[in-house]
Amino acid sequence: MAYYGRKLLFYLAALWAAVTLNFIIPRLMPGNPVDILLAKLQQRGGSVDPSVRRSYELLLGTGGGGSAVSEYFAYLGNLARGDLGISVSVFPSPVSEVIMASLWWTVVLVGIATLLSFLLGVALGALVGWRRGTWLDNLVPSTTVLAAVPYFWLALLLVALLSSALGWFPLLGGYDVVLSPGWNAEFLSSAIYHGTLPALTIVLSSIGGWLLGMRNMMVSAMSEDYVLTARAKGLRGSRVMIRYAARNAVLPSVAGFAISLGFVVAGSIVTEQVFSYPGIGSRLLQAVQNNDYALMQGIFLVITIAVLGANLVVDVMYALIDPRTRVSG
Amino acid sequence: MTNISTATTLSAAPASRAGWRSMLPRWTPKLGVGLGLIIVITLFGLLGPLFAGDPDAVRDIGLTPPGGEHLVGTTQTGQDVLAQLTHATRGSLQIGLLVGVMATILSAFFGIIGAYAGGFADEFFSLFSNVMLVIPGLPLVIVIAGFVPADQRGAWTIAIVLAVTSWAASARVLRAQTLSLRNRDYVAAARVAGEKSWRVITVEILPNLLPLLASQFVFAVIAAILGEAGLSFLGLGASNSSTLGTMLFFAQNGFALQLNAWWWFVPPGLIIALFGCGLSLVNFSIDEIINPKLRDVPLRANEAPVASRAVPAARTKDAVLTVENLSVVYQGPAPVHAVRDVSFTLRRGEILGLAGESGCGKTTLAYAVNRLHRPPAEVTSGSVTFHDHDGADVDVLALAPEELRAFRWSKLSMVFQGAMNALNPVTTIGAQLDDVFTTHRPDMSRDDRRQRCADVLELVGVDPRRLSSFAHELSGGMRQRVMIAMALLLDPQVMIMDEPTTALDVVVQRGIVQEILRFRDELGFAVVFITHDLPLLLEISDRIAVMRDGRVVELGTAEEIHRAAEHPYTRELLDAFPSLTGERGGFVRDAKPLLHEGGVR
Repeated sequence: MAYYGRKLLFYLAALWAAVTLNFIIPRLMPGNPVDILLAKLQQRGGSVDPSVRRSYELLLGTGGGGSAVSEYFAYLGNLARGDLGISVSVFPSPVSEVIMASLWWTVVLVGIATLLSFLLGVALGALVGWRRGTWLDNLVPSTTVLAAVPYFWLALLLVALLSSALGWFPLLGGYDVVLSPGWNAEFLSSAIYHGTLPALTIVLSSIGGWLLGMRNMMVSAMSEDYVLTARAKGLRGSRVMIRYAARNAVLPSVAGFAISLGFVVAGSIVTEQVFSYPGIGSRLLQAVQNNDYALMQGIFLVITIAVLGANLVVDVMYALIDPRTRVSG
Repeated sequence: MTNISTATTLSAAPASRAGWRSMLPRWTPKLGVGLGLIIVITLFGLLGPLFAGDPDAVRDIGLTPPGGEHLVGTTQTGQDVLAQLTHATRGSLQIGLLVGVMATILSAFFGIIGAYAGGFADEFFSLFSNVMLVIPGLPLVIVIAGFVPADQRGAWTIAIVLAVTSWAASARVLRAQTLSLRNRDYVAAARVAGEKSWRVITVEILPNLLPLLASQFVFAVIAAILGEAGLSFLGLGASNSSTLGTMLFFAQNGFALQLNAWWWFVPPGLIIALFGCGLSLVNFSIDEIINPKLRDVPLRANEAPVASRAVPAARTKDAVLTVENLSVVYQGPAPVHAVRDVSFTLRRGEILGLAGESGCGKTTLAYAVNRLHRPPAEVTSGSVTFHDHDGADVDVLALAPEELRAFRWSKLSMVFQGAMNALNPVTTIGAQLDDVFTTHRPDMSRDDRRQRCADVLELVGVDPRRLSSFAHELSGGMRQRVMIAMALLLDPQVMIMDEPTTALDVVVQRGIVQEILRFRDELGFAVVFITHDLPLLLEISDRIAVMRDGRVVELGTAEEIHRAAEHPYTRELLDAFPSLTGERGGFVRDAKPLLHEGGVR
């Protein structure tokens, strides 16, 4: 299928761009990150053998000597083997292990929250658009306040109100620290309990965008001829709204998913910081604060790959809901 | 300072083609509140620092609640929160404006230039924008900020990094818009005339992109203020800067939350939220310029309003539909009387042609008969009566919503211009035929429904295998046949056809008209056939009504209209079509002096 082929090619190009960006950025920046890293490593009692130095140099640049091209290919080779270097802030774990330990927290939290906010936002937007001219229109301006609220500030407010003042939710963390992570009911319910407030923050801040976008497309779709035909056919209002108007209006929201996902990812990194959530966003900040460049770059790559993957899935779904993409490509 | 200028540049923007008035945002309460918020907060940031004291002065009255000398309280180290707020607001606005301008310039460059140049440049710019779009911005900013030592992170560094990671989405929107503008006639004309590219872009294209650019700029400012706040909150902002984000950073690290010092962390976020809200409200007004459909409507959009109606008409012999003194008005500051006092009777099995130029009210009339008109259109007087063959008379204008729903399509169906957009593009033809049965004949079995749909498609000459096709897979003629099949499904007694053959080529048109005539003969339904093509009506109709300015100016048999049109306008219409021999006026057969030469208009 031409459509899928083109999309796959595009995401491969985007992946290549991200990987290359990751290679170039440290080389363009002032200072010598390799020396900083090695100094830190020694403080922690790590032995600096030449192979460790070499792997950092491939990642961050040597500061002179060695051709950039051969470094680039060696760097790609390391990536292909999943070797992202050794973390200094969580010495001596390899970066890939540190990332895997925190990745799932974020994927589950952001995944569920984004899905919820998309479904709720689109459903509400369809309803508000359909019932245009009624009191529901007043919802529209209030969503802009939600959309303009900084994620982390909303998180602070929710914590102040629901955790500090009312004591309904825990102040921070991803689970009760007396429990050990595992697949048991006690741990899972603790994780859900701790994740509710961060998820609520993400849903509240991102729902306005979906709602407004869907509402505007709904208003446009409602003046289309096929909606008029559906009304003339004597179909029930709910059917005209869902199968004819909303079914068409949702397409741009899905197509624009990439833009919104960027905002959600950005917002959740900051939100994790407020809640000290054990996810990848908090890890990224720890890495930055500790000059753990290898971990920092590894996390950037993993976040990028996750976002690209999510967008690819959405693009495949788009082809399923819009038959026109399947033929014209 | 920042965004008042947005609004004023927008207002003053010249627009060569669209007329500058259409570029002005309409004054609405939303716009007023939005501008008010922006102006107040901007003044607060501009003038506040002049009056407020030193934001950094440390006092020994840490965490004093609001009131007295310190209106918004003090921080942990006794600094005045209000004084800090004024400086921080100024800092945030500055960076917002700076990034907004840079991001808009970048997106205009990649979006407009690429789309205008076309070819390889467009492909490359578009690929580049799309790649930048899918690479998550904030993680990238954090990584870059992480590599730059804190003492080298100036405001400009942060602004550039934020701008570079945030232009892609609006470049994509601008590209799409430029592509559509590029193909408009006047742009093509300027290019053919040999105008220089930069001139075509700045004179012909840019003015028409202004509302969109303004909207993208507003978004860029919001995104920049939010992005900078996030970055500063994480401690990765510009060094020595004072913005609302850094205030929140110090509040968080000073345990404002744990100490319940709400006056320290609530106001900075509130200012960001209110400013962003103000900008979004202004954006609503700009969006209404870009997409006029979004303008507020005063009434519920899904109801067909009937202000007053007359008693239903009595049944006359052979009649299936009686319209008496029907008037439809588009309500508004200057009401438009689209249909005035129209009366006609449709007889069982007859074809009634409804002719007239565009805008004469014929489509409004057709929709009002089935109550498909929407606000601001409103039926102001008259009656529509349907005489069912079982003897019952239906007062259409008085039907309750559920009765109206059941009435539509089973008694009276419509054929729209299927060649255009009357079929839902994302579901199959089969599903769209089928849902007529699931709604009106809930007892029918699945197999019966499918069989009947296939039969009807076959009847109109479309292969039943097309049931699983989508609209875009059919030719214009086939789509029109599907629309007719759909109208036939429930054996209605009346069919209203709104320009069913417009936009089809002559051969296909002929085929479809012959089919319609055949079905009418076989199935016996009556037809209201709406078109501006009078010669076609002369050929197929039993009677013809000619409409002008909402009135039926003449109603007679096709023969009468053809041979002895009484109204000057009818003659004019007939005269407008050349005969096959090439002489103009060939359709007016009588020898009287032609009125139109005396200047009917």
